[in-house]
Amino acid sequence: MAAILVLLTIGLPWIGALLVLLTGNERPKLQHAVASIISVAAGISAVVLLWFTSDQPVLSIPMGSVFGVFTFVPDALGVLLAVIANVVGCLAVIFSIDYMKGNEQLGRYYALVMFFIGAMAGLGISGSLLLMFFFWEITAFCSYALISFDNDDPKAVAAGIKALIITQLGGIGLLVGALIINSYVGSYQISAFLTKAETLPFNVLVLLAFGFLAAAIAKSAQVPLHTWLPDAMEAPTPVSALIHAATMVNAGVYLVARFFPAFEDVPGWTTSVLVVGMISALLGALMALVAADLKRALAYSTISQLGYMFFAVGVGAVFASQFHLLSHAIFKALLFLCAGAVIPAVGTRDMRQMGGLRKTMPFVFTVFVIGSLALVGLPIANGFFSKELILEEGLMHGPMWAYIGMLLGVGLTALYVSRMVFMVFYGESHGEKPIHDGLFWMRVSLTALSIGVFTTWLLAGVLSDLMAQTLPFHGVHAIGTFELAKEIILAPATWISIAVIVLGIGIWILREPLAGIKNLLRPVARIIENGLGFEQLNQGIINGTKNLSAALHLTQTGQLNWNILGIVGMLSALFALLFIGV
Amino acid sequence: MNISPLNICLLGVIGLVAAGFYGLLTTRNLIKVVIMLQILVKAAVLGLITAGNISGQLYVTQSMAITVIVADTIVAVIGMAFAIQIRRQVGTLDTNELSSLRG
Amino acid sequence: MPTIDTLEWAMLETLIYGILVGAAIFSAIQSLRADSLLRSAIWLAGVSVLLSIVFYLLGAYQVAVIELSVGAGLVTVLFVFAISVAGDEGIGERSLVPKPLAWGLVIFSGLLLIYFILPIKAPLSTISKTSLTAVFWEDRGLDLLVQIVLIYSGVLGLVGILAEAKAPLQQSMVDEVAAERERALQEMEQTVVPEVDSPI
Repeated sequence: MAAILVLLTIGLPWIGALLVLLTGNERPKLQHAVASIISVAAGISAVVLLWFTSDQPVLSIPMGSVFGVFTFVPDALGVLLAVIANVVGCLAVIFSIDYMKGNEQLGRYYALVMFFIGAMAGLGISGSLLLMFFFWEITAFCSYALISFDNDDPKAVAAGIKALIITQLGGIGLLVGALIINSYVGSYQISAFLTKAETLPFNVLVLLAFGFLAAAIAKSAQVPLHTWLPDAMEAPTPVSALIHAATMVNAGVYLVARFFPAFEDVPGWTTSVLVVGMISALLGALMALVAADLKRALAYSTISQLGYMFFAVGVGAVFASQFHLLSHAIFKALLFLCAGAVIPAVGTRDMRQMGGLRKTMPFVFTVFVIGSLALVGLPIANGFFSKELILEEGLMHGPMWAYIGMLLGVGLTALYVSRMVFMVFYGESHGEKPIHDGLFWMRVSLTALSIGVFTTWLLAGVLSDLMAQTLPFHGVHAIGTFELAKEIILAPATWISIAVIVLGIGIWILREPLAGIKNLLRPVARIIENGLGFEQLNQGIINGTKNLSAALHLTQTGQLNWNILGIVGMLSALFALLFIGV
Repeated sequence: MNISPLNICLLGVIGLVAAGFYGLLTTRNLIKVVIMLQILVKAAVLGLITAGNISGQLYVTQSMAITVIVADTIVAVIGMAFAIQIRRQVGTLDTNELSSLRG
Repeated sequence: MPTIDTLEWAMLETLIYGILVGAAIFSAIQSLRADSLLRSAIWLAGVSVLLSIVFYLLGAYQVAVIELSVGAGLVTVLFVFAISVAGDEGIGERSLVPKPLAWGLVIFSGLLLIYFILPIKAPLSTISKTSLTAVFWEDRGLDLLVQIVLIYSGVLGLVGILAEAKAPLQQSMVDEVAAERERALQEMEQTVVPEVDSPI
């Protein structure tokens, strides 16, 4: 049963992708219908999979001696990722019915989105490193293809290439890691590696630990490799919501959390994770504070929130990080989809040209505020519980300076969210009057997500229970939802952070009297706006890769005879080396 | 040197490979390229069968050889179909000129 | 009892193999040197026939039969058909790689290969009793599956390519390409010695 569910969770979206392509762009209505029905079915199968979690492989496909066995292990960590991918995925597809209406290349769009959903679910459930790499690369490819979906726009194409090259760093790291692990452990299975991690030579373990961390940083857009994520906002908005907020960028956090038990004892590793998380949380929040583009601001906020998850792993709170991952996926997808409703309605992404939408778009305003509550971390929304849990764990197990840094991040979050809500929905209207207040299918998925914002924290108990049962290496303790809620509400850390949140919102409200300080900070803001110099670093990596491929292009004459000469020449060179006996 | 039938077969493999590669290095005609590929693949099949005879697992290598022959025949078929189409559409079979066609 | 001496038999066997393999290599070289595609294809069929005899002697009866029917039969017919449709010219074009370089490389790697592989001490083996069908259907089911997919895709590809021929040829495009080539040739004629055989 579990095996069938695993196959359905991964296979249904892929079959759907094929069907949508076969339907053809001449029948858009049928394409919408096929895509949404199949993705809803896949979402249901993923949710049902929650009842079949296990720490043993439910499906093993032997692939011969070179590739080992491809296993699917639906443990809590993986199933969580699969459920998020499929459920948020089906909501994004439903949202797309209205968002993509009239687009001429629906087949390509839906096929890529559904191909991505299946691969993301597979990435979570796979128990073999090589299989995981396989799915990892598919997600990277789909992300690239969807960022560049509007391939007439040179900006979109450049952003796609940028995202592809930088996330490839992660892919290469994962592949090299898998090969090293196979050569020392003799198997590609993650569980085998976690069991035998202590027997590995120390320097190899250090290499693996920091290699995987670098891979995770690239994939999860953490500082200093974060600049691809804001650029990736050229993608259609439902794609931003699904791939660049709710799922793919979580893969890095997932990787770090997955291998946490193995690398925990490597000196400096947890501190590095913690520092990366803290810096990303702070810088992401700062950049969100000065961004003028609504989607870019949300992207920076994603970087910041992913920083919280890294921080949680760094202090050893794997459960807290996964809990926040779930909450963040829901509320950030909600915020992005709201942006997806606002942007086509007003015809711009620039927040300075919005304003006053509270009256003209009341429905979107309401759900946006619900999402903001969760992002800021105010009570009853899921973000409140997960973020407070991270902060509490940080206070108990982490160093004090890091806790203070994260607390500052909380204040900044409150500040930039207030700014965002104000600029978009309050004040005077600076632009066109919106043409609609969210179309029907948009409203359906927005409503579903806002219900999720208020209810997913109730799953905390179930989640911790499942994680305690199916993750033998992570040492997660089961805890009841209400016990947890009580603990969070009574903890002093919570009250401190609520005070900071109020302070943050207060600063925004009092911005007129504080204008002097604001003017003082203007030069700083300018620097932050320019990306703090990381842009150059990232651009350097991209230019380097491009120049390298341009240089290697000379070796590709495209003429058969010379190519054969290369092949035969290499063959004889190898033999000659063997002959000399090197 | 011990001249046994198997050694002669291996020499044959090397000879055929050399002939095939030389052909690929010098020819510019698309159909001839496919013919040379055929020679290379035949060398590979001979190598497989010889290896099977050496290891005593002839049936395993035979089944592999059959796979190779099937694949190779498909390559020849598609190659010829391409050649016919290219000759009709472009008017040349010279690989050098074909590679300079763009767009 | 008058039997052939074992040593003598071994020498005879070696001689048979030597003649067959030598002839196959000779055919391959003839196929390489042939100045018409048709001859080249027929020499290739010769290689196929000779090798299938070698396969038979080595004990690979099934492969021998398949090689004879598919390699020597089907593929040759295919080549002859294709050559008759596509024409026989353009074979004398000068190669891009200088011939001495090609010679040198091929002989160099061939000699190194000989150095590494030969000689093999193993005698001709007696064949084990497992039947091919068992191996083919049970142990290597994946191969069979791949072959089926391969044949299917081959047929699809062929249909796709040849079906295109029935569609009206884009005469404008052909004309364009021809004109382009004509112009390029004229330019070449102005600079270098005119070529004897025009490609079209």
